[in-house]
Amino acid sequence: MAEPPREPIKYVDALVRLPYHYVAGDCRARYLRALKDKKILGARCSETGKVFVPPLVNSPESLAPADEFVEVADRGVVTTFCIVNIPVIGRALELPYVVASIALDGADISIHALIQECKPEEVRMGMRVEAVWKPDGEREGSHEDILHFRPTGEPDMPREGFINRL
Amino acid sequence: MTEIPPLHQEVVLEFPYKHSTGPVIGRFLAGLKEQKKIWGQRVRGQGVVVPPLGYSELDGSAGDEWVEVKPTGTVTAVAVVHEPIEGLHPFTTPFAFVLVRLDGADTALAHVVKDDVARLRVGTRVEAVWAPDDQRQGTIRDIACFRIVAT
Amino acid sequence: MSRLRNVAVVAFAQAPIVARDEHRMATEMLYPQIRCALAACGVERSAIDYQVAGSADYIDGRPFGFVSALEVMGAWPPTQDLHLEMDAAFAAHYAWIRMQAGDCDTALVCGHGKVSEGEPRRILNLELDPYYQAPIGLDPVATAALQASAFMARTGTTDRRLAEVAARNRTAGARNPDAQVRAPATADELARTPWVVEPLRTGYVPPLGESAVCLVLAAEGKAERMCDRPAWIHGTDQRIELQTLGARDLSRSPSARLAAERALAMAAVRSAAEVDLVELSAATPVEELILCEALDIDAAPSSPTVNPSGGPLVGHPLMMTGLIRLGEAFRQLAGQAGEHAVAGARRAIAHATNGHCLQQNLFWVLGTERRWT
Repeated sequence: MAEPPREPIKYVDALVRLPYHYVAGDCRARYLRALKDKKILGARCSETGKVFVPPLVNSPESLAPADEFVEVADRGVVTTFCIVNIPVIGRALELPYVVASIALDGADISIHALIQECKPEEVRMGMRVEAVWKPDGEREGSHEDILHFRPTGEPDMPREGFINRL
Repeated sequence: MTEIPPLHQEVVLEFPYKHSTGPVIGRFLAGLKEQKKIWGQRVRGQGVVVPPLGYSELDGSAGDEWVEVKPTGTVTAVAVVHEPIEGLHPFTTPFAFVLVRLDGADTALAHVVKDDVARLRVGTRVEAVWAPDDQRQGTIRDIACFRIVAT
Repeated sequence: MSRLRNVAVVAFAQAPIVARDEHRMATEMLYPQIRCALAACGVERSAIDYQVAGSADYIDGRPFGFVSALEVMGAWPPTQDLHLEMDAAFAAHYAWIRMQAGDCDTALVCGHGKVSEGEPRRILNLELDPYYQAPIGLDPVATAALQASAFMARTGTTDRRLAEVAARNRTAGARNPDAQVRAPATADELARTPWVVEPLRTGYVPPLGESAVCLVLAAEGKAERMCDRPAWIHGTDQRIELQTLGARDLSRSPSARLAAERALAMAAVRSAAEVDLVELSAATPVEELILCEALDIDAAPSSPTVNPSGGPLVGHPLMMTGLIRLGEAFRQLAGQAGEHAVAGARRAIAHATNGHCLQQNLFWVLGTERRWT
């Protein structure tokens, strides 16, 4: 034989397996642990007073430190949202489901969460919502302590109230 | 302010990949699996390259004809792993990585030696040990390892 | 050669290298260094034209981790920014190139990454090709050991010599408050440490460690207002070799030799031996010896001083080690090197590397005076 076989081996299989050992950092650790007590923490910019949730060490906008921790409400307003029709690997969510950006009362930016307990077509910008927590004794101090948000039934917030908090 | 107790999370990221080989790498691997032969490729500026990529790493020109090289060769570098890392290294007991310039090749092949590693030196003569017929899959480990040539 | 723009390092801030920071994420370690560097220059973020960072998401397993670095570099109003999945030293090199093109006059160069959150020997195996080299399990310590084996076979360098080089770096590191390893060690002690991958002993390789670094570059006209004693870049160049280990002569570094020659030529310096100090990104004594050979300088304690900071052996935060060498050169020339200062230093060489076995090499030549007048 003057050459290797005509038919090549088409693929080489490789399983990349990398263990990671994360540190949450003090900001995130305080935020996550507070969820166990149904408290949502943010950090206030020392220059502008804007509140960021989850808390950061500094404001990305002013670059000033944000080391004052404040508690924000577990209710707020939908600033924007989307209706998802494809399933998520690893989660049993009924399709379609709604993911929303929610500006909590007292916060200047939005967090992301599921909106449930209503029809997807009922969700709208400005809709007031409240957190649905895991029951006492089941919360662990993790982001899963909030199950989802649901409409409160209150009148919608006017656009000026949330348009800069997306 | 009192120290905040650290919060940790362990996560294992796992991704399966199927790397396409192409005509040169793919045929080299087929040569290991089906023929128990080690093929090099003549490449401009590099001579006979083992294992071949299909192109020159010096100037990107396409490789030329296939050249069979022998399964015996000379060690050009030795690194003895005394404490193998599980899930990364190919053995759980001490072994050596080697670079082996096979007879007929102008570049060295990176591979492993399992036994007798204390006797390995730069210059030691070694030979390929093939994986059994039913275990060769078309990977570089179709050569199971190298062993020191008995004199 | 034609006149280039004079660009200088005007500030450098570094978090002391630690094995693991239990209280801060990568960007939280970086924020105070950025504030410190900007304060040292007496400027606000608005004075920075270009924000560049070097880090690798897979080092600490945070996809798009570099995007969150923009939060601590300042995200509003938006500024031109760049991220390289490489040592931040290459980000500095890129910023220098943009300054030569006239695109910007000032740059904030950051390096970040929590090495302790990943397992580098597994991760950096993936830098190798997936067909022939990664599947046999080569990790960066093993490849460095292969290079050591080849170098020792060609040159006859002994284990004892490696121990002496390591001991010299340990002595220097004891005078560097930012080093991770602060205890000096003798060659005898280091030569008795066990093999990690033979012929490299644990005493010849760095511990895993993390840091956060921020360096400011500024062009002539601005640099003088930001620093009393800027470290002017006289020359720079970088070269890369081929990837397949067995196709290289691992006992030498032709890319380091060529990059150094070009950087020195740009700097109008005849030989590396003429500078006062050299900071090398040499993670093992073998890498130091190979680089010194490529630079044609003797690695003995005489002039030029090699690694007055202690080098990577006393602290090797991945993705930052190279930028720290540039920062250390700045400190020496700016009179900020404290206890590890090389007295009267006027010119320095700094080096960064990327890939296995010194595959890619970057050099700067710096001086206390402007190169082009």
